[in-house]
Parts: sequence; structure tokens; C-alpha cells
Amino acid sequence: MQRDKFFKEIENVRHPNETLVKTHCSYCGMQCGMNLRVNTKTNKIIGVEPRYDWPVTVGKMCPKGVTAYQQTNLDDRILKPLIRDDASLKGTKEGFREATWDEAYDLIVKNFQQLQRDYGKDSLSVYSGVSMTNEKCYLTGKFARVGLQTRYIDYNGRFCMASAAGGFMRSFGVDRGSTLPWTDLHETDCLFIAGSNTAECHPTSMFRVWAVQERGGYLIVADPRETPIARRADVHLDLRPGTDLALANGILNLLIQNGHVDKEFVNNHTNGFEETKELVKEFTPEYTSELTGVAPEKIIRAAEIYGKAPNAIVMFARGIEQQVKGVDNVSGYTNMALVTGKIGRPKAGVATFTGQGNGQGGREHGQKADALPGYRKIANPEHVKAVAKVWGIEPEEMPKEGVSAYEMFGLMEQKVIRGLYLLCSNPAVSAPNLNYVREQLKNLDFMVCSDFYLSESAEFADVILPTTTWSEDEGTVTNLEGRCIKINKAQEPLGESKPDWQIHVELCERLGRGKYFSHLKTAKDVGDEFRLASKGGYADYYGITWDKIEKQDGVFWPCKDENDPGTPHMFLDKKFYHPDGKAKICALPYRPPAEEPDEQYPLRLTTGRVVYHYLSGNQTRRINFLRDMCPEPYVEVHPETAEKYNIKHEEFVRLYTRRGEAEYKVKITEAIRKDTVFVPYHFGDDKSINLLTIGALDPMSRMPEFKACAAQIEKLELKKVQ
Amino acid sequence: MKKRLYLELENCIGCRSCLAACTQCGGHEERNRNYVYDVNPLVNRQTMPLMCLHCVNPACARSCPAQAIQIHETGAVLSALVEKCIGCQNCTIACPYGIPKFDTEQNLMYKCDLCIDRTKDGIPPMCASVCPSNTLQWLTDEEIEAKQKQFNLDNGKWVTSMPYLEGETNVRVNLPGILQGVTKLF
Ligand code: SF4
Ligand code: SF4
Ligand code: SF4
Ligand code: SF4
Repeated sequence: MQRDKFFKEIENVRHPNETLVKTHCSYCGMQCGMNLRVNTKTNKIIGVEPRYDWPVTVGKMCPKGVTAYQQTNLDDRILKPLIRDDASLKGTKEGFREATWDEAYDLIVKNFQQLQRDYGKDSLSVYSGVSMTNEKCYLTGKFARVGLQTRYIDYNGRFCMASAAGGFMRSFGVDRGSTLPWTDLHETDCLFIAGSNTAECHPTSMFRVWAVQERGGYLIVADPRETPIARRADVHLDLRPGTDLALANGILNLLIQNGHVDKEFVNNHTNGFEETKELVKEFTPEYTSELTGVAPEKIIRAAEIYGKAPNAIVMFARGIEQQVKGVDNVSGYTNMALVTGKIGRPKAGVATFTGQGNGQGGREHGQKADALPGYRKIANPEHVKAVAKVWGIEPEEMPKEGVSAYEMFGLMEQKVIRGLYLLCSNPAVSAPNLNYVREQLKNLDFMVCSDFYLSESAEFADVILPTTTWSEDEGTVTNLEGRCIKINKAQEPLGESKPDWQIHVELCERLGRGKYFSHLKTAKDVGDEFRLASKGGYADYYGITWDKIEKQDGVFWPCKDENDPGTPHMFLDKKFYHPDGKAKICALPYRPPAEEPDEQYPLRLTTGRVVYHYLSGNQTRRINFLRDMCPEPYVEVHPETAEKYNIKHEEFVRLYTRRGEAEYKVKITEAIRKDTVFVPYHFGDDKSINLLTIGALDPMSRMPEFKACAAQIEKLELKKVQ
Repeated sequence: MKKRLYLELENCIGCRSCLAACTQCGGHEERNRNYVYDVNPLVNRQTMPLMCLHCVNPACARSCPAQAIQIHETGAVLSALVEKCIGCQNCTIACPYGIPKFDTEQNLMYKCDLCIDRTKDGIPPMCASVCPSNTLQWLTDEEIEAKQKQFNLDNGKWVTSMPYLEGETNVRVNLPGILQGVTKLF
């Protein structure tokens, strides 16, 4: 149990006729601890009480967390299966009728079997998400590969963590989002944070970030916008969107030139130094400045601080990862830690801010097109054998590798994929190039969507299955530290809703695949099978029992057996996970974003989040407090740019790219680059900024480039009536 | 040990979790009683919370003709008593910080009660419990004194409560600029 200076013993308030259920927030990777207040007469969740005894967040929550409890009993909940008979209404909210589970299952089975008879097993696809427990994520993979026997399964982590995963795999040979626990953050001497709007996206990290500065440590932030965290940074590297790799190479060059190389570490524990040193030579402060738009002095100062810091942590998020070179950006910034040896010890290391609640666990256990539980690879026959054994199938029966989330839409267009089972995701808002994506959803022969609200994506479904919110089921989640924690059940499922794992089991039974699923009667049954399936993989959860989680305040993977306490700090023995035990320093040639500004589209469009909303906003846009705070998207424009276009604060503009357009209210702020405009992406219908974003993918992670494309603005002369 | 609400304005990230949290405590009827302001919204993202400072000699209570605003033994200046408040709104004008809010439907003033259902038992208020940036903290006088030593501004000033902005307050406020006096590690 880690107890640090922020931890205080505090009693909780207990109201009469209430119990408190210990759990964690439903939203981001911080997984803040919280107590749900449950009325003991109605057995309903009625509020939240801080969880002071959770060591990572000590009671703190952002406004999403404070109001998260309201999701469960909201009027918008879907309480019964819904069927729509008239396919011409796809893409609208109209035409759904309530049905029984039996009727819904029968219809799904009939259509799925028909499609597979006519077009083969792979005509079906599963598109999933990671805002759900490890148990559900694990079973979704098995559902696709054993239940539906299709190769096409992928998940929304492609829009979230895939580049971080790819970069860490390449640099370290293992992908654990943070090499150290969050309770180390405030004790380091320098935080280098790139492409993370931490104060809005992972707010409960902020008390630790500020504490570094209070101690006299340094904060360096790389971001095109002066975000609330950048506002207080010692150095704000205000780079052009999509130029991170140049910045990383430029800083690395200075670290090497200025003698900050840890020679012993580099020689004994890494490969690739000489080659990388040669490559980054070209990235002088002046050349780096030319590419990134950051003043040379700032680059020099940042390198000096990071180089001199006794301990430092390099951190990053979607800002650097959602690019066509996201994987390279991750390895590029990770190089800083490897060259200076600031890794593999407490208070020093590398971390990514995991976006979704279970963005870490969910990507490890087989929802990815190319992966199997325990972070195994489908391309590796040994790995397939191990998992096939747990699943009770022959290795030959294991479907081959599929394609990434965005590429699935391409296969829908080609009619290779004709049926879709969608859960825990809302691609009709969150995918890039939405005009195209929505078209493909509309053209599917048959689509099932499991959700607890009628999301924008559910509007394309033929059948909607009512699933539970996070508080109506139990299971484990792996937070952004790599710490596996326990989500507890606070209320019985509302209406006829069921947890996704149960839906999968019941559906598989009706598809004639019951023998592989019928033994899974509780979330714990699924959890136990999942631990076994992960055993021996990189991400080994075998030793992570629910008891141990309770006793230790969570367990960090890898954790191989009952007696293993888990691994809060990675690489303390300086052993990395590549076969030779060494980390890889990567020589990474710079390349620009897929679409650079030109005369027609002179601005750089970048997207991101606001503190009040989570991902596609399907949950948070329905919560009164959060909706009131941010009811609609807007476009942030620098005053000088605004003047050029003759637009004023709160006037309306048409923002457009080669792919689409939308109208937004203008928010003037000096806290953004002059060549860049920003729009938050949480909104649906004709307000989605993803109508404009580009579907260009990172060649390794298949992550779309949400963070940089070319755009143009036009003032709307007519007064808009909202 | 007596604890106080302590505000370190420099830290605020504008998340408004304090507002969301304020709706959560007993008797708050899901309405928040605090404020967060964008300091200079067209220029930067600095924000700051504004809450009742729980004045030792509160102008709001003094201005109340009906003695509807009671002072708790902990020093917390409570929300108007439903049975006493006559809806005159004197308090909303009297408070130098514009804290009391008015419910026109109920003809009733409501304000921050320092989460009295929590703080009477030494449990931190909701806003200070959740504040992700430690802008709002719940500290002992010793801890506040340590803060005072740690952050020495070059103008010799530290908290607004000494000398006070208006009069002595139970809540302590630390104005932006705390990092000025910090000695860098290297
Ligand atoms: S959204 Fe993230 S930071 Fe906010 S309360 Fe939930 S887990 Fe914590
Ligand atoms: S919760 Fe804290 S950081 Fe957030 S707005 Fe309130 S005072 Fe500022
Ligand atoms: S700050 Fe205003 S409302 Fe609070 S006690 Fe003082 S006068 Fe009354
Ligand atoms: S102390 Fe309680 S009542 Fe006062 S602003 Fe904070 S949460 Fe609201």
C-alpha cells in the first residue's frame, strides 16, 4: 500500500438509510476512487461521496466523476431490447419498437447465420471499446473469435492508445502505459509533458503536477495551445500540430551534444544509440524551430532542464499519438529517457495518459485485430496454441488477424463486412472522416448495437440491446498506471438491461456455440478464465485475484502467481522485454502530417477534449451539470487570425476541410497558435468536428491523424438563430 | 484539531468540479453555492474560484433584519434559515464578495454553509475534497503557517486575510503568484 504526503485518514459521511459502495469512476484512465451512495430502501444509486482512502487520487474527482453516478438512473436509459423493422430509417432515432430479449436474440441469430451462410464467417464484425471491465473486454474477443468465428474484431482504442502501445512495444518490448506508479509523479524533479491537456483530460493528476513546481522542480509542456497546464509551465513549447517528432529529435540532439548521455546505461541496456545520434544531428535548434515553429531558445532551455534533472518523467497523450507518425512520436520522446538513463528507477520514467477507463487492460486482452489475451499475437503460432487451449478450440480454428477499426469501414464499403456487432463505442461521432463512416454504417446489411443510451451510432442499428452502466456490474479495470483495480456493483441492472458478458454468453448459446461459453455464469467466472488466458503472456494477470486487489489497493501487472505482489515499477532490473533484454533507441526520420496547409486550406485544425465531456459525449452530454457547462462545440481562434477573417468573439463561422464542414461559434483566445484552430470533438450530428478530420492512418498503429489536418474558415454573415 | 478552508488561487485549472461537488452535500438540493471565474478569457485560461470566506464578523449576517443568517460554533456562516428569511436580499448586497444567491421561487437566500454537515465533524467540505488541483484545501493552522513560510512573495504579502481584504475571515486565501518565492532545485 502506498501512502504519500497527500494521503490523510478521513472518515466518510454516512447518511441514514444509505450505504457506500467503494468503486472507481466510469470514465478516464485515472480511475479515481469514489464511493457510490446507495439508498438502502430503494436500492438505487443516489449520489457520490469522495473515496479518501484511494491512494492515487485521495478523494479527488473532476466534474465528470462527481456527476458520473447520475448515468445509471437517467431517464434516457434503454430498458428493453429495441428492434427496427424499417431499414430505411437507419441513421435516425425513428422506428424502434420494444421487444423481448428472445425476439431480439432470435432476430440477431437469424440474420448473423444467414449472412455467414451466404458470405462466409468473416462477413460479420465486432467493433468494441475499452470503457468497460477486463472481463468484458476479454470476453468480447472470445465472442468474436469463438462465438461468431470471425477474424474481424477491433476496438476504439485505435483512436486512443494504439500509437502509445506501438511505440512502447518498439522501444521497450512491452506496452505498459506507465513505467511507474502515479504516486511517484510529485517527487520527480522535472515533468516533460507533450500533447496532453492534463488539466482537462486527467485533472486529478494536477495536484501532483503542481507539487513538482512547489518543490522547485520544473514543468515543461509541449502543446499548440496554452492549456491550463501549459499556463504554468516553466517552458511551454508551443509547437505546430503534427511536428512532435522534430521536437523530440531536436531535444535528443541537444541532450547528446550537451553530454547528458548515460553511457553506462546506453551501452549495457540499449541498442540503436549510434544510428540515432547520427540521425538527430541534423535537428539543430534552428532547424527544429523551422519545422516546429517553437523558438530555438525554448528548445535549448527545455533540453537543458530535462538533461540536468536528477530525476525526470517524460509523459504524453493523444496530442502526439493521434498522428500518422504517432508511434514514432512515442518512441521519439521515449528516446529522451533511454539516452539519459532516466528510467528503470523510482521517480524517473515514461508514461502515457491513458484515455479510457480501461484503455490499458482493454488493449491487452484480445479485442485488437492482431492480439490475443495476455498481449499475445495472433501471428505467433505458439501464442495461438496457448489461448486455443484455454478456449477449448483447435489452434487451426483460431481466425486470422483482422483489420483496424477505421479500416473496417473500408471493408464495409467493399461489402466484405456486412454485419456489425457494436458495443461500448460510438464511432458515428468518434471516428474520423464521418461523412464516409456514417455512410458505411448505413449500408450494412445488419447491425446490432449494445448500449445503455441511444447513441448516434445506435441510430444505425437494426437491433439495440440494453446493456448495463458500469455501476450495475463488477469486474476489474487496469488504470493508467498499469494497476488492476476492482469496480464494484452498486445497483441491480435497471429495467431489463444486462451486462455485456452475459449478453455474449446468451447469444453464443443461441448460435450453437454454448459449449465454449455456458460455464461463465458470473463476472468472476469470466475473470478467472481471463486470468488463465493471460497466463504466460507479456501482460500476465494470472496472479491478480480480486482478493489481492482489495488487500493491496490494486495490483500492477505483470503479476504471475498468487505470491507475486505485482510490479509497480517496471525495469528496476534494467531488463527490457526484447529478446536480448535491451531497450531500443530509435532513429526516426521526420515526416510531416498527411495533409499540410496550403493556399486553399491555410489553417491547421486540431481537436481535443474539454473537462466536462468524455469521448463522444454519449454519456456526459446527458448529464445536466456537464451539458450546462459545455452545451455545444466551438472553434478556438487566435485574435490575430480572427481579425484576418474579420470574425469576432461568439460570431458563427463555417469551418471546412476537403472532407466536410460544420458551423461553430467562435471563441477568441490568445492561448492558441495563430496558424491553428481547435474544436472539441464530443458532439454529434452536424456538430461533429470529425466530419472534417482526416482518415490518414499511422502505418504501424493504424491510428487516424485527428490532431492535424488542413482547414479553412468562412465567416457566416447571416445571424444564426440557435 | 481545527481545520480551515484554504484557497491557493494560482492552482486553479477551471474544472468546476467544486461547483459540481457543492450540489452533492446534504441539504444543498443539488444547487451549488460557489463560483468559478475566467480571469481573462480572451487572453489565457486562468480561472479562480470564489467562495464564501466565512467572515468573523460577517456583513451578510449583520445586514439581515430577520437574523436569518446564523453563525455556527465552528465559525461557519450558515445559509439563511427557511423559517426566518424574509427574502429582502440585503445580504446579497452587503456581502463584499457577492456570495449569497437568491432563489426567487422560494423567496429564500441560500449560500455556502461550509458543508456544515461535514465540517462539524471535521470532514472536509465537498469542494475541497474533490478539487483536483489543490486550489481548495482543508488544513490545520500549522499547515497553513507552513504554507506561509514556504511561499514568501517579494512584496512581503502573502494571504489576503492578513491584512484582510474586508475584515477577518475564517477561510484563508492565497493570491496568485505563489511560485515567485520558490527556490528552484537546480
Ligand atoms: S473522468 Fe477521470 S479524472 Fe475525472 S473523475 Fe473520472 S477518472 Fe477521475
Ligand atoms: S475544483 Fe479546484 S481547480 Fe477546479 S475550478 Fe474549482 S477551485 Fe478550480
Ligand atoms: S463572504 Fe459574504 S456571505 Fe460569506 S460570511 Fe462574508 S459577508 Fe457573509
Ligand atoms: S464549502 Fe460546501 S457549501 Fe461551501 S462552496 Fe464548498 S461545497 Fe459548497
